[in-house]
Order: sequence, then structure tokens, then C-alpha cells
Amino acid sequence: MSYLRLQGVEKRFGSVEVIKGVDIEAEKGEFVVFVGPSGCGKSTLLRMVAGLEEVSAGEVFIDGANVTNVEPAKRQVSMVFQSYALFPHMNVRDNIAFGLKMSKTPKPEIDRQVAEAARILQMEALLNRRPRELSGGQRQRVAIGRAIVRHPKLFLFDEPLSNLDAELRAQMRTEIARLHADLGVTMVYVTHDQVEAMTLADRIVVLRAGKVEQIGAPQQLYDHPANTFVAGFIGSPKMNFLAVQAAPAEGASLTLTHPSFPAPVRVARAGGGEGELQLGLRPEQLHFEDGPCRIALKADLCENLGGATLIHAKTAAGETLTLQTAGRRMLKPGEAFSAGFDPAGAYLFAPDGRAL
Amino acid sequence: MRWLSRLLHGIGLLAVFLFAVFPFYWMVSSSFKTQTQILASPPIWLFHPTLGNYAQVFADEKVTRAVLSSLIVAVCSTGLSLVLAAPAAYALARYEFRGKADLWFWFISNRFISPIVLALPVYIIARNLHILDTHLVLILVYITFILPIVVWIATDYFRSIPKELEEAARLEGASQFDIFWRIYVPLGAPGLAVSAIFGFIFSWNELLYALVLTRRDVQTAPVVATSFMSGYEIPWGKIMATGTVIVLPVTIFALLVSRQMVRGLTMGATK
Ligand SMILES: Nc1ncnc2c1ncn2[C@@H]1O[C@H](COP(=O)(O)OP(=O)(O)OP(=O)(O)O)[C@@H](O)[C@H]1O
Ligand SMILES: [Mg+2]
Repeated sequence: MSYLRLQGVEKRFGSVEVIKGVDIEAEKGEFVVFVGPSGCGKSTLLRMVAGLEEVSAGEVFIDGANVTNVEPAKRQVSMVFQSYALFPHMNVRDNIAFGLKMSKTPKPEIDRQVAEAARILQMEALLNRRPRELSGGQRQRVAIGRAIVRHPKLFLFDEPLSNLDAELRAQMRTEIARLHADLGVTMVYVTHDQVEAMTLADRIVVLRAGKVEQIGAPQQLYDHPANTFVAGFIGSPKMNFLAVQAAPAEGASLTLTHPSFPAPVRVARAGGGEGELQLGLRPEQLHFEDGPCRIALKADLCENLGGATLIHAKTAAGETLTLQTAGRRMLKPGEAFSAGFDPAGAYLFAPDGRAL
Repeated sequence: MRWLSRLLHGIGLLAVFLFAVFPFYWMVSSSFKTQTQILASPPIWLFHPTLGNYAQVFADEKVTRAVLSSLIVAVCSTGLSLVLAAPAAYALARYEFRGKADLWFWFISNRFISPIVLALPVYIIARNLHILDTHLVLILVYITFILPIVVWIATDYFRSIPKELEEAARLEGASQFDIFWRIYVPLGAPGLAVSAIFGFIFSWNELLYALVLTRRDVQTAPVVATSFMSGYEIPWGKIMATGTVIVLPVTIFALLVSRQMVRGLTMGATK
């Protein structure tokens, strides 16, 4: 049995159904990331794991025990809040030691644990400061320190980095990854930042409107998205979608036509499918004036990223497309050009969004 | 015209200031005058201060006993109100339960009733319980006045404490009492302090119930101060000195606690 298991979990606030039947499993030591757009229920789900929110239906298991009706303190989980939730009237040392004091740990043991946490997080010099005397990144570290001293079964993070600036966020991200590797503990991490999800996770859970869209390893979600939502959510810049007409051709393949295709495109698909489909192409799969299949485009706007250029363009049908090319290539708005791609790597989705 | 508006502003403020402070000044300055100086008309502004009135006041055992009584009553009624009201405020601020809105309104509605209306019923109840003329009866009555104020102010204050602090403490294994005692009380201290000042000042100055419910054994300072006015000749100097002595503890108390009020304790809790 998995270390963490959510089984048919639902949550209603009054008559509003926020979580609509979620099943998730995670192994011991895994780094699980819940990702999804704002308001999809990530925090609610995490809070149900912590016990801060009661489940309306379904069950929660941690380390083999059914904790559905167990109070938060007895679940042996620690949580790092988006707002840090440090106790403002206590110094860093007392903040970190709070949980140990509550569990009546002997004083020498508390001191040892706090010193250890301070060493791991490199904040020995800050122990006597109050939270208001710390920077955002330091507060975040204290919150993590408070979580690790209790050696919980599960670490829960709710968007812990969203209050930090970009540079600090990248730094803390690697620190959290290092912490996970060093401690080998199970972590559940909520974010709406897909870069955090891709870089940190062993397993990503993509949520939308209270439902799981797909669960899998980052690379698996990237390579084999289950539907257009996951395809569009994972990967940056976003995947491009074109509405194409598909007709069956010989040898388990399809012929795709689109007003901007100079010639029909043949793609191998055993599953078939006919009529209007969505063709998905990632920006890095499109090549400027190169590749076996072509799309005729008109340039819209070019963004110079230094080492690479993002070209935003439009098809004849008015769909917007983004392609990423190496080097610097500035096109004038309205300039015509073609983008090429390899049909073997293209994604196809049914009208209802399902991947084919 | 900026200077004119500022001038008018200044004059207005000065007028309000004088209006508020003059009686106080009159009391304090008169307490250092002799009876003839006080009754002089037109009033004497410059005079040689005398401590005679204060000597009289402190020599009068009635006054010192009254100040002690007032202190006992004010400290006990304020202290007990805090002990009882703070947990109530915590529950009102953070828990949903049936009748919460009604209970809240009941606390407010307590203050709709004019105190004089209740004076007689309270007197009868106290007489039947044989607690007339004791510290206890004043403490109990004052608690009914102070408690709602503390509940109001503290509830509001507790509501402003981020909920995540409570949740974090809960996950760390803190009991309900720990959360109240280690999170809400210290972080709500400014609110509790403000309501303590109100409560203390109220019981220290309260006159109506003190007159009705006490007689000989227990007399609070305001009662004693007014009792001087009943004689053949009114000893203004002594009354003014007594008044000054009465006002002093409240002022000191308010100054002490106001330090608590301005300390923004919640700063740095969350982003
Ligand atoms: N206590 C509550 N009462 C009523 N509705 C709530 C409550 N908490 C959350 N919701 C609703 O549940 C939905 C999911 O909220 P949740 O906070 O879990 O979203 P989220 O995925 O964490 O979003 P974000 O990325 O913005 O933090 C939202 O529509 C929200 O309005
Ligand atoms: Mg959230």
C-alpha cells in the first residue's frame, strides 16, 4: 500500500463542490507536486491531507493508517504556509522549537534539534531574531526549520515561494530540492508555477476545477499529456494548437489539412479519428524555415531572449502560434515566413480534448 | 489663505483643548489653595501653593480606606472580566456555533439599558443575598458592565490575528488552551490592554451603583469625595485634593498600559 493515499476524496463548502472525487497515491520519499490554475482546489486538497479541512467524502491514508477522522496534531505532518505563519512574538529559536515544546521534548533534546535545523538551513546567526527582523527568504527558511525539527511523516508546502522575488525563488527551489534529497522524506508541494512542478517533482498531479486531469512523472506529462489541458499547462512557452481536418489514409495513418498547410500532412495514428482534430506543437518543435512539413505564417511580434528568440505568429485561420528559434531573429510585423515540424513528434487531440 | 485656515484650525483646537483641560487644571490648582483663595472672586491665578489640603486628605482615614477599596474593586472587577471575557472573545472570533450572532448581540445589548433602570433590582437582589456594603457586590456588578466591553474589543482584535497562526500551532501539536494562551493572548495583548483600561477607569469612577449598594463598611473614592459636600461648610480644597488623588492612579495605569497598545505585535507574522 502506498505511503500517502487519497481515495475518492470530495469537499463541499456549503452547496459548492470544490473537490470532486480525487484519487492520489504517493510512495514513501516521493516529491509530489499538486499543480493547477488558481482556484482549482490545490490548497483545499492539501489542507485535507493535513486535517485542517474535513473531507466531505472519501478517505485519507498516511503510512498505512486511515487518518480521515484523526485530528491534525496526531497525523504527524508539518506544513509550510504561503504566508509563512511564523509566530511574530517569538524569536526564531522559539518558533522552531514550538512543536517540540508542545510534545514535551526534554530541553537538551530541543536545543540539539534546533541547532541541527539551524545548521541545515544555515541560519545559526538568526536564532535570536524576531520574524519581523528577517527578510522574506529567511522567514521562509524559519518556516521550513519549524517543519523539519519534528521529523514528520509528511511535509506539506502550500505555494511556499510565491511571496519571493524571482531570483530568491530559484535559489529556494534548489534548496528545497536539496533538502528533499538529504532528508529523504515524503513531500507534497502545491504550486501553480509549472516550472517549480517540473523541476521539483517525482510525480505531478495536475488538477482542474477539483478533478485530477493527469498524474505522472514530469517527463511523462510533458511527452504524453493526456489531454489538451495538461498539454497546455505543462511546458513553457505553452503548446500551440491548430484546428485541422483529418481524413483516414492507408497504413493506420491520418491525413491532416489546414488552410495554412501548403501540402497535407501525414501522421501515423493507429487509433484513427476523423473530422476536426486539434494538432498540438510545442514551440521548440517548430523550426524557422526548416523541417519536413510546413506551416505558412505571418509574423506578429518577436521577443529576443538573448540566446534565443520567441516568434509569435498567426496562421491564415487567425490562430496564434509561438515558435522558439536559436539565436537572434527579428521579423517585421506582417512578414510572411514558414515554420517546419516533424509530424512524428506532433500531438493530436480529439474534439473533446482527449489525446489520440 | 492657507495661513488663515491654519490659524482658525489652531484656534479651534486650542478652544477644545482648554475646554477639556480647564476643569482638570482648576481641580489640581485649587487643591493647592486655601479655602479663601478658592472662593476669591475674581479668581486668583498666582498664589503661594499649600500642601494643607493634602495633609488633611491623607490624615483622613476615610479617604485612604476609600482609595484602597476603590483599588480592590477596580483591580478585581477588571482582572476577573479579562479572565472571563478573553476565552469568550476567542470563541466568538474563531468558532462557528449555534446562536453565535445572538450571543454577540446580547453582549452589545447589555449596554442599551440605562444603568439607573437596573439599580433598584440589583439593590434588591444584593440585599436578599446579604452582600450589600461589600467589595464583592461592587465587583460583581462592575463585571457585568466591563465584561461586554472586553468581549467586544478582544473579539475584534482576535479576528485580526491571521488564522494560519492557529492552524500552524494546531499542526505542531498545540492544544486548544495552548493556542489561546500562547498565540491569542500575547498577540491580542494590545486589545486586552485597551479594554482593561476602559474597565479599570469605569470601575474606578463609577458613582451611581457605589452610592446605592454600599453604606459604611465599603466606600469607594468617588463616594467619599461627594460625601464631603454634605456638611455645613463645603471644604473645597479637601474635595479638590481628594479628586486629584483619585485621578492619579488611573492616569498612571493608563500611561503604563498604553505602551502595550502601540506595540504592533502582529507585524511580521505573515507577509
Ligand atoms: N472556506 C471556504 N469556503 C468556501 N469556499 C472556499 C473555502 N476555501 C476555498 N473555497 C473555494 O474552493 C475553491 C478552491 O480553493 P483553493 O484555495 O483550494 O484553490 P487553490 O487551487 O489553492 O487556488 P490558489 O492557486 O489561488 O491558491 C475556490 O473556488 C475557493 O473559492
Ligand atoms: Mg491555494
